[in-house]
Order: sequence, then C-alpha cells, then structure tokens
Amino acid sequence: MSVEKGTLEIKNLSKSFKVDNNLLPILNNINIKFPAGAFISIIGGSGCGKTTLLRIMLGLDTNYEGEALMDGERIEGPGSNRGIVFQDHRLLPWLTVEENVAFGLDKLNRKAKKLVVDEHIKLVGLSGFESAYPSQLSGGMAQRVAIARALANKPEILLLDEPLGSLDALTRIHMQKELERLWLLEKITMVMVTHDVDEAIYLSDKVVIMSSRPGVIKKIIDVPSSRPRDRASSEFMQIKAEILKEFHLGTEYPFAYAI
Amino acid sequence: MIKNLLHRFALRDKLLALIVPLLVLTLWQSVLSLHLFSELILIPPLTLVSTFIELASSGDLTNNILASLQRVITGFLVGGSLGFILGVVTGLSPFMNRVLKPLIKALQQVPEFAWMPLIILLFGIDELAKVVFVAIGAFYPMLFNTYQGVSGVPKKYQELAWVFDYRRFSYLTKVVIPSALPSIITGIRLSLGLSWMFVVGAELFGADAGLGYMMTWGRQLFQIDIVMVGLIVIGAIGLVMNSLLLIIEKRLLSWRIAFDGRTL
Repeated sequence: MSVEKGTLEIKNLSKSFKVDNNLLPILNNINIKFPAGAFISIIGGSGCGKTTLLRIMLGLDTNYEGEALMDGERIEGPGSNRGIVFQDHRLLPWLTVEENVAFGLDKLNRKAKKLVVDEHIKLVGLSGFESAYPSQLSGGMAQRVAIARALANKPEILLLDEPLGSLDALTRIHMQKELERLWLLEKITMVMVTHDVDEAIYLSDKVVIMSSRPGVIKKIIDVPSSRPRDRASSEFMQIKAEILKEFHLGTEYPFAYAI
Repeated sequence: MIKNLLHRFALRDKLLALIVPLLVLTLWQSVLSLHLFSELILIPPLTLVSTFIELASSGDLTNNILASLQRVITGFLVGGSLGFILGVVTGLSPFMNRVLKPLIKALQQVPEFAWMPLIILLFGIDELAKVVFVAIGAFYPMLFNTYQGVSGVPKKYQELAWVFDYRRFSYLTKVVIPSALPSIITGIRLSLGLSWMFVVGAELFGADAGLGYMMTWGRQLFQIDIVMVGLIVIGAIGLVMNSLLLIIEKRLLSWRIAFDGRTL
C-alpha cells in the first residue's frame, strides 16, 4: 500500500495511564487521517489528551493500543520526517539563532548547513538576528526561530503544540498569518493543537474537536472558505458558532455568546 | 554614558572593599604604637613589607610559589578531571549513579586530612604524595557540582535532543555540557580553592619547597613575619585565581543575559 508522503493516520488508538493501580483512560478509540498537505487543527479543553496524541504522532510515546502510521509505516520513535514546534519555544539558550536553527542539521557538512540555515532564517524573516541569543529575542521572534529550526529539517509533517499560546493577542494574529504563509510556501502537512477557536478556523482545512475524560473525537468540522480568511465574515462566524456549540454541550455551566 | 556610569559604580565598589583592610592596618599600627605586645609577636606592617621584599628579591618566594603552584595545578588536573568524568558518568546514567554513589558517599565521610597517613605509607613523602593529597581535595567539589549540573539537564532539552535524533556525543557537547556549565564552573572554582588549601596542608607534613614549607620553616625559626608573608601571598594568589575564573565564567556564560540587557 503506498501513501502520499506526509500522510499521518491514526487507527483505533487508545491509551491509558496507570494511576494507583487503576487504569485512567486518556484517549479512547481515536480514528483520524491527516492527508498530505492539509492544515488540521485539534481543539479541546485541557485534559482531552490532545498533547498526548501529538506526542504519539511525534514518536515520544509508543505505549498505546491501536496504530499510528506515518506514510503507512508504524511510528516507532521520533524521525526527521516529523517536525515539532513546542508551546515554549525550547530554543537552547546557549546557542545563537543560527546555531539553534542548525540544531537538527548535524549530519550536513558546514557549507550545506550554512545554506539551509540562512535560507530558513530568511524564510521566517529574521535576517540580521543570526548571532543573537534567545534571551535577546521577543516571544514572537523566538517562536519564529523554533519554526525555522523545525522546517530546516525538511519534515513532511509539522506538528505544532499550541505554538502561539504564549504570545500576546496582536503578535498572535500576526504569527497566524506567518504560519499560513509558511504552510502555503512549504506545502507540507501541518497539525496544530490549540485552545483558540478563531486561530483554528483561520488556519485550518479541518478542525478536530475533542472532548475530555477520556479523550475522544467529538466532531470534525470542515472549513471550506477560501484563503486568506476574513475573521469578520458571516461564514467565519457561523463555523465559530458551530464549534462553540460543541463545547457548550459538554460543559455543566453553559456560557453565553452572541452572534 | 550608561556604561561609564556603571564603570564608576564598579570603581566605587572596589574602593569600598578597601576600607576594611585599611582600617585593620590602622588599628594594627596604632596598637603597635601603644607597645602592648612585643614586636616579635605583633609584627609591624612595615617589617612585613621589608620581609616580603627580601624574600622576593632573593628568589626564595618565587621558587616556593612555583613549587606550590605546580603541585596545585597537577593535583587539580588529576583530581578535577577524575571528578568531572565521574560526575558526567553518574549524572548521565542512573544505573552508574546507583552503583557508585554509596561508595562515593561513604568515602566522602572520611575527613580529607585522615587520608594523609595512608598516603604517606603508600606514596612516601615525595612529590607524588602531595599531588595525590591535593587531587583528593580537588576531586569531591568537581564531582558533586558536575553531577548536579549533568543530572539536572531540563527534561524539555532532553526531549528536544531525542526528537532531533541526537547521538550520544553531540548530545553531550551541545546539550549536556553547556546546560551543566554554570555548575561545572562553580565546581572548578571550589576545586581550585580546595587545592590551595590542601597543598599548604600537604607541605606542612614535610617538604623542601613550597609556601607551606616556607611557613613551617618560619615557624621553626620563630619568624612570624615569614609566616605572615606566606599567609598573605596564599590569600592573594587565591584571590587572583578566583577572579580569573570569574572572568572566564562571564565569557563562557555570556548567553545568560538579564532582563535589562546586562550580563549576569
């Protein structure tokens, strides 16, 4: 069976943690396919297992039932075909921007490394900051470096774990545009975990809604609108309402919203 | 402008640091002028200066400093490297840590000077014995601080190296050592400091050169001025070494920049 490169598939996946001899289910029978080249967001309340799911896709967690397949092959551990951007940028504070972007490129020779690094620093718009240390960068800039580091490895799929979660509202909107630009440019699969409904709708082809304890996929919502998307359009609002309704049903204390 | 101001503050701090020593000197001189003690016991500061000049110009002082310095450096390199290697090994491998920790902890309970009789029996009273003694002193602070730094690499960086498929060696050089560097440098500072203490101790047990030897000799001749010059020289060299290491530390850890843009 051949699959297009960049496809990630989760089949009948369940996972539980053992707490005081009791099995605490975290993920329950997850089935989802991330087609090559798509942008898909996963949203859900805290504790819905979305980060665990991402860790499984990354290969950091291999202890589960069911299947997680990258390009049709079982994920046994981390691999260079999957890149990751964490919520905390996780740049190494003792390396410069340049050295951080080169972090995954150990196997390349000096010249090739320099070429790839320069290309990706330029890609995220940080030319001129090559020799800055992470402590000298703003949150948004640091996250750009983290994205450049992940992309420099030429992954087929980029996993983003609440990548913009710690940024202020304005930087966040700006970075969402940047992510969209990079996604259109690189033409790779992107899977983003987020809390932010607007962000999910703005960026994604599909929004996966998960509910908590145990984590199950509640609904997958298509976002058919053309790009770039208008956050104030009625279509956008409609999809937002549809997503919020899903959460509304799941909470004991309903919250009010107006369209 | 701001840099100038900082410089001026730094200068003021340095001047402030001189106040207490100057006060002590004044007090010293004034007690002397009261003739409360014999000048054989309470040496006038000027006598110290002339003894210092005498010892320095005869070449005795330089020879003794070099003899001690050589023992310090050799002992520090041997004991420090051993401590560093064991620190890295036990810090990286929980298994090795479980295997080695009980023995290390037990040996650590032995006061270092209690090793002296055994060292003399095994190595005699020559150079080797002194270097071994210094090495024991240098070993523990290096071991503990390296262990602490290496075992304390944040999990998020371990994960990162895992995701990027790092091999052992690059993981060590690019992640572990830089992350542990602040601890390791503290280890080096403590280790060198103890090496100085131990070399003087070792030379008190019998030597034919070195600052400890010079002081023993001064004691035997009841020349307190020589003993005191020894004390001052040891203190001064220790201070110089410490400040040199602080400068190196600042250089190596230049990535740690404080919120206001100053280096920590």
